[in-house]
Amino acid sequence: MAALLCILLCPAWLAAQDKTISGKIITSNLIPLAGVNIVVSKTNRGAISDANGNFTLQAPASAKLVITQTGYKTQAITAAVVQDGVAIKMEEDFAELDEVIVTGLATNVKRRNLANAVGTISNKELTSVAPAQTFDAALNGKISGANINANSGAPGGGISIKLRGVTSVYGNTQPLYVVDGVFVDNSATSGGLNAITSAASGGAPTSSQDNPSSRIADIRTEDIDNIEILKGASAAAIYGSKASAGVIVITTKKGRQGKTAINVSQSIGQIAVRKLLGVRKFTADKAASLSRDPAAGAILKQQFIDAESKGKIYDYEKELYGNKGFTRNTGISLSGGGEKTNFYFSAAQKDEGGIVKNTGYRNSSLRLNLDHRINDDIKIGISSNYINSSTDRGFSGNDNAGVSLGIALSSTPGFAQLHPDAMGNYPANQFGSSNPLQTIALMKNNEAVNRFITGLNVEANLQKSNSSLTRFVARGGIDFYNLATTLLFPGELQFQAVSKGTIIQGNTNNLSTNYIFSLANIFTPTGNLSFTSSTGITRETGNYNNLLNVATQKISGQSNVDQAGALNATQFRSRYQNDGIFVQEEAMVHNAISLTGGIRFDRSSNNGDVNKYYAYPKAGIAVNLTSLGFGKNGFFDNLKVRAAYGQATNVPAYGSKFTSMVVSNIDGNPGSLAGIQRGDATIKPERQSELEAGIDLSVLKGRLSFEFTAYNKKIKDFLMLASPPTSSGFSSQWVNAGDLRNRGIELGMNAKPISNKNFSWTTSLNFWLNRSLVTRYIITPVPQGSFGYVLGSFQIEQGKSATQIVGLNGAGVGVLGNAEPTFQMNTYNEFTFNNKLSLSFLLHWKKGGDNVNLTYLQNDFGQTSADFDNVTNKAGMPDGIYRISQVGSNARIFVEDASYLRLREIGLYYTFDKLSKNIFIKTIRVGASLNNYLTVTKYKSYDPEVSNFGTGFSSGVDVDPYPATKRATLHLSIDF
Amino acid sequence: MKFSNHISTGILLAAAFFIYSCKKDYGNLNSPTIEQFLANANASELNNLVSGTESGMRNNMAYYLDDIGVIGREGYRFSNAEPRYTKDLLGAVEATLNNSTFYITTPWAARYRVVKNCNTLIQAATNSTLITAAEKSGYIGFARTIKAYQLLLNINLTYKNGIRVDVANADQLGAVVTYDAGLADIASILDSADAGLATAVVTFPLAGFTGFSDAAGLAKVNRALAARVAAYRAQWAEVLTDLNGSFFDLTKDFHLGVNHVFATGSGDKLNPMFIPQNQNGEVRVAHASFATDIKTGDDRINKATLRTSTVSLDGLSSNRDVWVYTTSTAPIPIIRNEELILLYAEAKIQTNAFADAVTALDAIRQNHGLPVYSGALIQDALITELLYERRYSLYYEGHRWLDMRRYNKLAELPKDRTGDDVWESFPLPISE
Repeated sequence: MAALLCILLCPAWLAAQDKTISGKIITSNLIPLAGVNIVVSKTNRGAISDANGNFTLQAPASAKLVITQTGYKTQAITAAVVQDGVAIKMEEDFAELDEVIVTGLATNVKRRNLANAVGTISNKELTSVAPAQTFDAALNGKISGANINANSGAPGGGISIKLRGVTSVYGNTQPLYVVDGVFVDNSATSGGLNAITSAASGGAPTSSQDNPSSRIADIRTEDIDNIEILKGASAAAIYGSKASAGVIVITTKKGRQGKTAINVSQSIGQIAVRKLLGVRKFTADKAASLSRDPAAGAILKQQFIDAESKGKIYDYEKELYGNKGFTRNTGISLSGGGEKTNFYFSAAQKDEGGIVKNTGYRNSSLRLNLDHRINDDIKIGISSNYINSSTDRGFSGNDNAGVSLGIALSSTPGFAQLHPDAMGNYPANQFGSSNPLQTIALMKNNEAVNRFITGLNVEANLQKSNSSLTRFVARGGIDFYNLATTLLFPGELQFQAVSKGTIIQGNTNNLSTNYIFSLANIFTPTGNLSFTSSTGITRETGNYNNLLNVATQKISGQSNVDQAGALNATQFRSRYQNDGIFVQEEAMVHNAISLTGGIRFDRSSNNGDVNKYYAYPKAGIAVNLTSLGFGKNGFFDNLKVRAAYGQATNVPAYGSKFTSMVVSNIDGNPGSLAGIQRGDATIKPERQSELEAGIDLSVLKGRLSFEFTAYNKKIKDFLMLASPPTSSGFSSQWVNAGDLRNRGIELGMNAKPISNKNFSWTTSLNFWLNRSLVTRYIITPVPQGSFGYVLGSFQIEQGKSATQIVGLNGAGVGVLGNAEPTFQMNTYNEFTFNNKLSLSFLLHWKKGGDNVNLTYLQNDFGQTSADFDNVTNKAGMPDGIYRISQVGSNARIFVEDASYLRLREIGLYYTFDKLSKNIFIKTIRVGASLNNYLTVTKYKSYDPEVSNFGTGFSSGVDVDPYPATKRATLHLSIDF
Repeated sequence: MKFSNHISTGILLAAAFFIYSCKKDYGNLNSPTIEQFLANANASELNNLVSGTESGMRNNMAYYLDDIGVIGREGYRFSNAEPRYTKDLLGAVEATLNNSTFYITTPWAARYRVVKNCNTLIQAATNSTLITAAEKSGYIGFARTIKAYQLLLNINLTYKNGIRVDVANADQLGAVVTYDAGLADIASILDSADAGLATAVVTFPLAGFTGFSDAAGLAKVNRALAARVAAYRAQWAEVLTDLNGSFFDLTKDFHLGVNHVFATGSGDKLNPMFIPQNQNGEVRVAHASFATDIKTGDDRINKATLRTSTVSLDGLSSNRDVWVYTTSTAPIPIIRNEELILLYAEAKIQTNAFADAVTALDAIRQNHGLPVYSGALIQDALITELLYERRYSLYYEGHRWLDMRRYNKLAELPKDRTGDDVWESFPLPISE
């Protein structure tokens, strides 16, 4: 550490005579441009242009001023040239070639020289069309090359993001999230719902079917300045052990020098269910047919007749899911700064209801980002964020006890009487083990989070000369959260007859830390050649502790776990430490040919051998042909060919090297019972290697640009929770089971067909597809990740797609579908009239990709599906009965095409500026937006985006989810 | 360049040292590992394995009892959430028993998990230098008895598809053996346990073995199980010998025996077979033939009580709840005196000692409110009578389907819907 302190305290000083420089920045239309960054080259000193485009700073006359602004081409001007009154004209950068992309931990490169296809999402695309409830949902449909899927419509998020296909089966499939240099935890912790639903057998209080939210949902979208998406190892390798599934690099807003800008925003809106399935229309005879026993049938018939005569036939689906949730989102932000210190502060709260009563989401957030320049050579940045969120997620999904809303609904006909009597007592549901109206009214399933995320960033110039600049960059932070989960099922509930009331309280503390120390040297021997060498060390640690108390036989009205007759506690802890060392060399020739090579060494406490460093190389090349002079004055404005290769590690899950003995007591005697999972003491990390290549080109002065990328991503030694013969005593066993690969293409087009003072149109169009193949598999294929062959299941098999769905096909077991979409497309369009009125929308098309739809089967089985009595099958029997008759012989009808075309977001906004000088208000923006309002699909359940098993490999299994929602919102935003 | 090189070298050296000095292996933070027990376990660790074994025996017993109860047409398991109880188990239309579905994979794995624990206990006791030889025999005798019992439950399901007996080494599992060989192996494991228990001292606590928790008591339980296995092997003389060593007693309480017990304590379990009466949705109800076939005055009718409303699902219905397990802490019998009396009767019938058989049958009949046996004293009639008594005495305790199979009478079990099937055996789980 002493060496590090020395670096901070003994920077190299630049000694030169400064002079005051002031200038004005304008656009090509001669409009003053505010917020432009002017930096004295090779220093941290800079200025920002004010509302009139003016700026002032101190610099030596010989210094270079680098002038940058997102959306404009970067310029470098000698300070001496800048004089008062001389305007500097910025040229629009339609193709965003000058966008700076972070390529290393301490280095970055402009898009025009980038060897990878890196996706970016601006704040505008995230929040300015039709904002989603949570950050993860806001990414949906916006990332080329990603397969994004919402687990359910439950409040509080829960999204699976797979970049460039499946990167793992039982290892991590989700990208790493980095917020201002802090590796942010995105785990999903179950609140213990399985203790109620028994969705997974075995009696554990938690299962993968408990549908918790994922923790990345806590981040407030409005604070984000931009997002970079590194899709695979060739780009992400530098982030180390946690980056094999890609990295989502989030940069939050920073303050800028100048007058303090204040923004106040308020939205209000409404959430409604996207689609209902409808209910079966009963008649007296159909009611009677619910029972095979004639006497019971007669009673049912009478019940129906009584209910009908009193007008008491209900649509319980509508009652359960038809609530209109009110949403509000209030935010205030301040940003500004002086010569040395800039700040961004925001305070915000959103509170949203759900489509099921007593469900909803509230998130309160405070953020303070500070940047301080100690001197010309040392800069520190601190970002800190406190989040408090509370989610009431309701009760949905798979369940073997007949208690979740959807399962209860599936067997309840409209003539059942479920409403409370005058005393407020709910009747028992004679058609199921629970009365869903009672369940909603009395239960609670809450996740409450308190979270601190703090990042620190130190950059120092250690040495400067005309040809060389050496920098030290230290970046890191902590992410701590406490998650308190509360499940409350009072004894009055119909299904609590045995347990007499259940309280389940979970308490989770998670601390993640990470840091990077790196040194980078930029050596420019001649104007046409530069080398960037960087080296450094990284470390990430995690410490997770989850304590879950399940109390039954509870005292009426009480919610503390000690207020009960029986109490069961479970605890799960995990810790890891990953260490890495990296070296990277980048060379730039003629500002046109960029070469990168690097190697990383990683080890992890989760590996079998905790001391062993595994080596992961990377390399890249990008040749900008137009910069080399090819096609000068010709058709191409920019033409680049590129290729990149990289390897990354994916470490085993904590505990995969142990064979545990779990606690299993009897009558007060403590017992140890062999765990069902067999560890592998020699377990190795997965190794991913990715090769991508592409061509980027832009024409018509950058108004039209194209990006083509193809990739081949291989995963070697992928980890499987194999199913050994269970006669061994083990049901699962960690093994490095085989290799798989993903190949795919990504095509992108950006255009600005019209751009003038009165009207502009920006459009982008993306197309992507991925195909996976298991190239080696050493264990016997067995159904995984769903409910077996009878209902359709995933199965890893050599020579087959990793996401194939197999099951009974009438003549044995065969392939029934594939969860992988055939292709996906999106288009984002923005129309602006007179710089005041804007209309933008995002359209997303997923073609192909199958789900295992069991929601419909449940309704058939309960004889309540809307089309139960239609006769369209070849057997000539009612469709509901026909579909049930397929169970056990043919799973084909449960595997369903989940294609959709969705208008994800559409927003219309009007901006009032040039307001009277007498008021403080600069601009007022008003708008209206619709989120997920229109979906075209043939899929038969609530929504094609669904995952009973949460975020992981086996998404797309549909078992009575919390139905998907849509949102309509009105917006008001005022800048002071 | 030079300056920076010095610094970077310095940092890297410092960092390398820092990293090197901080290498981490956190170990298992959540529970002991199997290796810790095998090293040199003390008595308290071995006792933990005993209790874990006894506790684990209860896991997923509901699936086992429902498998046998539903296929044996003792009752139905209606579940709105789980169609396969009324589809696959009853062979509706084209549905068949599948090798990847919970009804076989779950109970099968649960039983072998206990076998794993028994093997771990045997190995741990063998390796331990901290206990006496007699104590060692006690642990091993218990472990072998339970292991044999667990294997028996699995072969009851897979029948002619066999089981694996030698599963001590997970990397080198023994071959799947046939039904006959499997039963012979189970019998010999019971015999070796019995031999060991003769010289054993039992110092470990047991929960469901009240009255049988010493070495002599465990030996009686062992012989009772051996008698059941011998009956399955049709070794009738052997049945009678084994009964002699067991707690069989014509005059004692029918419920005398050993049980899976349940409690609300931490880490404990509630009886998964308990469902309150008159529930809807998730129910376990009696087959209609339960009430129609029972003789007038038979008090065993109370094992399936009348419901306030009929329940129906998937073309099946019932107006009686299975009411064998009447509280959430009611025990599930492992083996009890009533079965031993019936095994005695069966062995006597098979060895043509009809008078002894009738004495035993009458003990059962009179206890349940029926008059003494007045039927023909021929084997066929007596077997029919025996199967009736077994059906009602051991209702929903996991016997009916096996009994009908043993006597080639599966075809006599009623099929309620056109296209239903009565299965003879479960397939081996796909993982095998």
